Amino acid sequence: MGFCWVVLVAVLVFLFTPIVIVVAVSFSPSAIFAFPPDGFSLRWYHAIGNADSLVASVWLSAQIAFLATCTSLTLGTLCAIAVVRGLVPAGKAIATFMASPLMLPGLVLGIAFLQAARGVGLRDAYMTLLLAHIVITMPFIMRTVLASLSLFDFTMVDAARMLGYSYPMALWKVLVPNILPGFISGALFAFIASFDNYPVSIFLVDVRTKTLPIQLLNQLEMSPDPTVAAASALLILGTIVALIICDRFVGLRRMASM
Amino acid sequence: MTSGPARAEPSPAPSTDARYLDVAGVTKRFGATVVLKDLSIAVEQAEFVSLLGPSGCGKTTLLRLIAGLLTAELGTISVGGRDLTRVAAHRRNIGVVFQNYALFPHLTVAENVAFGLKAQRTSKPEIEQRVHEALGLVRMQSFADRSVASLSGGQQQRIAVARAIVVKPTLLLLDEPFSALDRKLRETMQIEMRHLLRNLGITSIFVTHDQDEALVMSDRIAVMSEGRIEHLGSPSEVYSRPRTLYVMEFVGQSTRVAGRVAGGSQGNLSIDTPLGRLSAPGGFAAGAAVVAGVRPEAILLGEGPEAEFNNLRANLSDVVFFGSKTTLIFAGAGPGDRILVEIARLPQSLRPGQEVAIRWRIDDTMVFPAP
Amino acid sequence: MSTFAIDTRRHPAAVRERRTWFDAKALLALPGLAFMTLAFALPVILLVSESFVGPDGLTLDGYRKVLADDYYVGIVGNSIKLALITTGTTLLLGYPAAFALARARGRLQVILFALIFLPLTVSIIVKTFGISIMMGRNGIINWLLVNLGFIERPIRLVFTEFNLYFGMVNVFLPFMILPLYSVMRMLDQRLTDAAASLGAGPVYTFAHVTLPLTMPGVIAGVSLVFSISVAAYVTPSLLIGDRFMTMSQVMAKAYLNIRDFQLGASMAVVLLTIATAIVLAASYLARAPGQSGR
Repeated sequence: MGFCWVVLVAVLVFLFTPIVIVVAVSFSPSAIFAFPPDGFSLRWYHAIGNADSLVASVWLSAQIAFLATCTSLTLGTLCAIAVVRGLVPAGKAIATFMASPLMLPGLVLGIAFLQAARGVGLRDAYMTLLLAHIVITMPFIMRTVLASLSLFDFTMVDAARMLGYSYPMALWKVLVPNILPGFISGALFAFIASFDNYPVSIFLVDVRTKTLPIQLLNQLEMSPDPTVAAASALLILGTIVALIICDRFVGLRRMASM
Repeated sequence: MTSGPARAEPSPAPSTDARYLDVAGVTKRFGATVVLKDLSIAVEQAEFVSLLGPSGCGKTTLLRLIAGLLTAELGTISVGGRDLTRVAAHRRNIGVVFQNYALFPHLTVAENVAFGLKAQRTSKPEIEQRVHEALGLVRMQSFADRSVASLSGGQQQRIAVARAIVVKPTLLLLDEPFSALDRKLRETMQIEMRHLLRNLGITSIFVTHDQDEALVMSDRIAVMSEGRIEHLGSPSEVYSRPRTLYVMEFVGQSTRVAGRVAGGSQGNLSIDTPLGRLSAPGGFAAGAAVVAGVRPEAILLGEGPEAEFNNLRANLSDVVFFGSKTTLIFAGAGPGDRILVEIARLPQSLRPGQEVAIRWRIDDTMVFPAP
Repeated sequence: MSTFAIDTRRHPAAVRERRTWFDAKALLALPGLAFMTLAFALPVILLVSESFVGPDGLTLDGYRKVLADDYYVGIVGNSIKLALITTGTTLLLGYPAAFALARARGRLQVILFALIFLPLTVSIIVKTFGISIMMGRNGIINWLLVNLGFIERPIRLVFTEFNLYFGMVNVFLPFMILPLYSVMRMLDQRLTDAAASLGAGPVYTFAHVTLPLTMPGVIAGVSLVFSISVAAYVTPSLLIGDRFMTMSQVMAKAYLNIRDFQLGASMAVVLLTIATAIVLAASYLARAPGQSGR
């Protein structure tokens, strides 16, 4: 048993070392990726402000992630309700289908989107990215919302109807407040999946429309300096903050069991 | 009654009191299975009627049809003269107390009770007053701001009732509301509920599989089986004069003996059974296969005059002590039959294995066609 | 009150049978389903069909290359080798780690869980970036190796297979640990106690009680990690690039560089088949009697 604990600690160290290194490098005063860093400086953080393309790509990634997540939330929840209530035939097959993009290698998805977009004549990178990201985020929503719904007592919806609300209003007044944790955790996973996505996005970006991961990589190749590390450190910080907020609302363990 | 957009009250059509709830010719199918078969029932205003039957008999389906949560293929449903057959559930102004209460966990007790009033756009001061009143009726006023999760089962149950009645429904439907409570609490709640509903004069339909509960609470009981009502009558009618063998067996205990009609005249039958010849009131043709039954508490020990009593001798096989009563089980009945006798106290001399004389009044015998 | 009379009157309106109209609520599923069919199923089907279409029409050239040409078969082998090593290593490391995590109590467990979960949320680019820094001549790994006496001078670690596997394991460990953990959490400790009380030693108990009961988690973790790592793109291309070609890199090149769509599509279909086969095998195994535990 002690052996297991040793392994766990080693695993944690192993998992965090690259992250810690990136954060540490971001504070290094020199342009070399040296670890341990010889000094402390915030110059690379300031540099981010000047890196227009970097800031633009953050903004783009955030927009796409947000819009894709919201769309998936709406479409996915409605579908999940129909499945859980047995209102559609082959509900299980439908749910599996809606969650299946997760099973495919991102690369394959990216290529498929690319070819399909070309075939349909869709040249707008933004639109293509958005549509693709809705597909990417859908499985996360489906899985968590389905799990929440299966724990939800639909008799409450009946009760709300008997007390005077039509079916849609009853769903809004009673279902939504009660599956909010599932919503939030699903939305968080979906947002992160979209924000960090590389394999699908790489095929769909163009010179002017770049999501953050791709921009980061480009930067690394073209002018490798710790600005990338600083941006990454900020990303990590943002993720931690988002996780803490979700923990307050939902409880981390409950999120993870989805 | 506050009128809101969801509940437009039509001018009351002339409806006789006796048909306040009028269910007529209702048939309901789920796929290929017919769950309710041409079922009709009429309930008086302010009456308390129980739908009693085993699971699968259709009682909950009927309840949900009345509520509007299901639609029937055939038949009509009206309340107070108003045809509700095509009216959406949320416009029917029918209250429902669900089996698992279905309280809203994201709202406090008071907010739960206020829910229906808010849906009707009732004014805030009126909501406050009526919620307070309703909580008072179920004696839960001090719980107004508590969360629902912190309540015990019995308390939740009361809030569910308060929530349903605060909107002054025309009809109250209760779907096995006490099934999750332990026995003592259940008995208390049954009496409380009965008083409350009687005082409010609300017409109530109560679904249960527990016949004791139905007997205690109801003005009338509808005993159901396989989508049909086998007997609709007062508790004492259903118990003492069951219309069918099924009703006799479902409600209460019974001694039953199968036999063949040997003959009879002037409303009296002679029945040949493995235990001997029985007399009973009734009119069946000679040679008909019948089942005779009698309630265990109507059977006495010892012999009595032939003209009044059916006399039998049987072997005592088991004695079961229930505290306030003792049940004697006798052997010698045919397959599917049983002989149960209920007495207050066991005589000292009686032991299993003995042959005992038992008797009951001829008039207490119930006769049904054999299934 | 009426006694036995059951009213069998039928209202005139009831004579006409009402058609059970289509339950409008089923339409709830329509927008989502329609979208996914158009935006997901169709493109994938198109891709699969593209694998059959060469410059001169319907051919199987793509598959011929992928499955028969030594070069490409070697690449398929590379991907599978990568997946096997990644899966094996993460399983060996992840099993004890998940076990310890499952046994932690209260606050500690929540914190540890968050710590395992957090790296998943960090961008793969960031992690890979950190790993390549670690692998530099002045990086931590070299520093450790030198100071622990394994080597005398820093060696080149970047763009080596060691670097690749290191990175893969780093990225995929949480994917292995989480399913294992969720199954191990439900393992009743009293079962191991019972085994001990019956005279079973720790090794025997592990082999005959713990392992069989945690097998669903193992299957889930293995299938998840294998199916994702066989298709891994970012990590191999960043950590080793062309020196270790995987199916995904070939696909990317086929589409972005050489524009041999049929080749790319065929490779994609093969990849898809492997990944799907693993997932299906896993769900079959999970359903097999004796495997499902409860």
